[in-house]
Amino acid sequence: MHGRVKIKTTAQQEEEKRKEREKKLKIYVAARDACFSKRNEGIWDDEALQLTQQLLSSNPDFATLWNYRREILMHLETVKDKDEVQKIYEAELSFTESCLKVNPKSYGSWHHRGWVSARLPRPDWARELTLCDRCLSLDDRNFHCWDYRRMVVKMSGVPVDQELAFTDRLIGSNFSNYSSWHYRSTLLPLLHPESPEPPSPCREPPQSSPPPSPQTHSHRVCEEQLLKEYELVQNAFFTDPNDQSAWFYYRWLLGRGMSIGRSVCKYEREYISALLCFVNHKFFVFLTAEREEMISCVYVNRDEERVAVAFSRPVNAQSVGLFLVLDGQPQRVEWRSVHPRFKQSPVWICNLPPGTISDITNERNLTVHWTEKHTHRDCALYTGRTESWCRDSATDQELFRSELSVEKTSVLQSELQSVKQLQELEPLNKWCLLTIILLMRALDPLGYEQEMLAHFRTLKEVDSMRSAYYSDLCSKFMIENTILKMEYAEVRVFSISDKNLTTLCHLDQLLLVTHINLSSNHLQRLPPQFAMLQCLEVLEADNNAIENLEGVYHLPKLEEVLLKNNKISTLADLQTLASCPKLKRLDLRGNPVTQTANVESELAELLPSVTDLLL
Amino acid sequence: MLTGTQVKDVIIKPDAPSTLLLEKHADYIAAYGSKKDDYEYTLSEYLRMSGIYWGLTVMDLMGELPRMNQQEIVDFIKACQHECGGISASIGHDPHLLYTLSAVQILCLYDSVDAIDVDKVVDPFHTLFGVAGLSLLGDEQIKPVNPVLCMPEDVLQRIGLQPDLLS
Repeated sequence: MHGRVKIKTTAQQEEEKRKEREKKLKIYVAARDACFSKRNEGIWDDEALQLTQQLLSSNPDFATLWNYRREILMHLETVKDKDEVQKIYEAELSFTESCLKVNPKSYGSWHHRGWVSARLPRPDWARELTLCDRCLSLDDRNFHCWDYRRMVVKMSGVPVDQELAFTDRLIGSNFSNYSSWHYRSTLLPLLHPESPEPPSPCREPPQSSPPPSPQTHSHRVCEEQLLKEYELVQNAFFTDPNDQSAWFYYRWLLGRGMSIGRSVCKYEREYISALLCFVNHKFFVFLTAEREEMISCVYVNRDEERVAVAFSRPVNAQSVGLFLVLDGQPQRVEWRSVHPRFKQSPVWICNLPPGTISDITNERNLTVHWTEKHTHRDCALYTGRTESWCRDSATDQELFRSELSVEKTSVLQSELQSVKQLQELEPLNKWCLLTIILLMRALDPLGYEQEMLAHFRTLKEVDSMRSAYYSDLCSKFMIENTILKMEYAEVRVFSISDKNLTTLCHLDQLLLVTHINLSSNHLQRLPPQFAMLQCLEVLEADNNAIENLEGVYHLPKLEEVLLKNNKISTLADLQTLASCPKLKRLDLRGNPVTQTANVESELAELLPSVTDLLL
Repeated sequence: MLTGTQVKDVIIKPDAPSTLLLEKHADYIAAYGSKKDDYEYTLSEYLRMSGIYWGLTVMDLMGELPRMNQQEIVDFIKACQHECGGISASIGHDPHLLYTLSAVQILCLYDSVDAIDVDKVVDPFHTLFGVAGLSLLGDEQIKPVNPVLCMPEDVLQRIGLQPDLLS
């Protein structure tokens, strides 16, 4: 009957859909195979253009077809005149535009457009900028578009201040704009560089002809402009304290003008560079906390005839040209990392042939050479002394404090005041709290310790979903502070008890420690990195949640291990302790493992050196 | 309207599953390669090598790598290495850095880097190939890279992340 719509059953609909997709697939595969075979035969004709166009319209990420298309176009360049080529390439631009409508994030389409623009006899860069504006208005975070815009700016010589004004507009209309802030961060140093300093021998190429590109420029910004930028970004986060992008830009800014002294305490430098793009007038340190590469400590011990070397970063001793010279004689030694898991490690050990340094009446002079980095460290082993070491002294850290010019500290101080003001208005804002903590650590990590802990407590309440992250971060900062205190006191005892520690780090700094107290914390494991504590004699770790002792591995001087009230549950968990030959005293009270059958006899067999066992 | 880049936390409902459906994931991936008559599958041919890599790393993390057809995959990779040394995403496609790296990563998972002409791979791409690729091909000067997570081993150690098998 007329006018009656025939209702299909679901099964029929499914079947129809399936048939349609099969058909679609067939067409696609036929076109693709045709393309491939034409290309193999070296055919560059109109049909090839049609076929690739057909396929790329629905699948613009099919990179091989863009390659083919470019081959065809380059061939046409050789057989057509300039006007025809202009027309062809303008048609290409339209084509890429339609592809971009399908997928504005297609690498292939953007790349092709860039390629075409560069080859157009008469390019229209203004139009390209307009395209970028349109595209960014739809999605201001499309990095493809930003990259394309940067290319257009470069090719057409748009002046930097015009681009800066562009970011002004974007930021003014919508503060939250990571990409705009980021772009601004690349433009600012070009437009308002800090006054030139004698070039660093290490990294910076001599500044010759303008315009400097973001890649080679020093990334520093002059003071006057910086202060204006602080105001701009403070407006942003005062207006909307929940906007992440302004906070990140702010943190980047804080590093732009700093000329902090040459000798920098390792921790200040690490998190200043994490917080601020730290720029030292002698060495450029960018976003990553890259320390000066050196041997930070050499330790030698006559008893085990053992040498331990600590580096400023993990290395593979086997491949960096590490060698040992004793009293002017090179020694053939085998370097090993502290744990079999590590091919890269900050600490490496070796043993000297027996009898080499065992005679305590002889003074010996040891040098460790890191040939790859043209650096070395000496260590004198004196008569009558069983052990000796040489490492960065705490005095360096004092140097840091006094070299920090008052002017620059005051900038950090005033920023801290501003953010604290905001924090009073917005007590639940996590960005404020986190930024305050980081500023405090940059200013005076030990002095601000109590305040920092208070802020972390608030932070964990305010942003409870990330409380584990904050706990770990706070643990890291407390460990740093404890290391600083230990160095000032010039002792080899590391005591960090009852500090809510959830994780361990910087273990490479504890090479010389003889006593460690980790009791009453929330640690779950002593990870393989713990094996870097090569001088450890006493390990106190009562009242934690430790179930894993992987890192208590081949510690030659370890005599006492206190693990009362932890979570050691099986004998297998205690296996690694067998690698510590001097282990005498072991406290396992309050651990599930004590409930294992025959635990005493099993342990006697596993750990024969232990004479004082507490269960 | 000033909305700012807000932090968008997801609220996980209390009755949401608390375990991964590992068997189902493994079954899905194991069956994925046989979808040769599927439209979307064919369209994504341009990244096939990477797709295989992603599937294999997941299977490896689940301890299910043996379910995949190693020989077939290695043969496929061989067929995708071009004269210049570079490797394509699929047969007939052009060689590309991305898929050369994926292929090298796959071969590392299978400890079969020698199935391809290694010298040829390194030579044309040398400076562009990237640290990860060169490291996986055994360059001693470069720090080791974990092929499953494609991150430097020392970083993984520092953050305490080892790709332990999921159980």
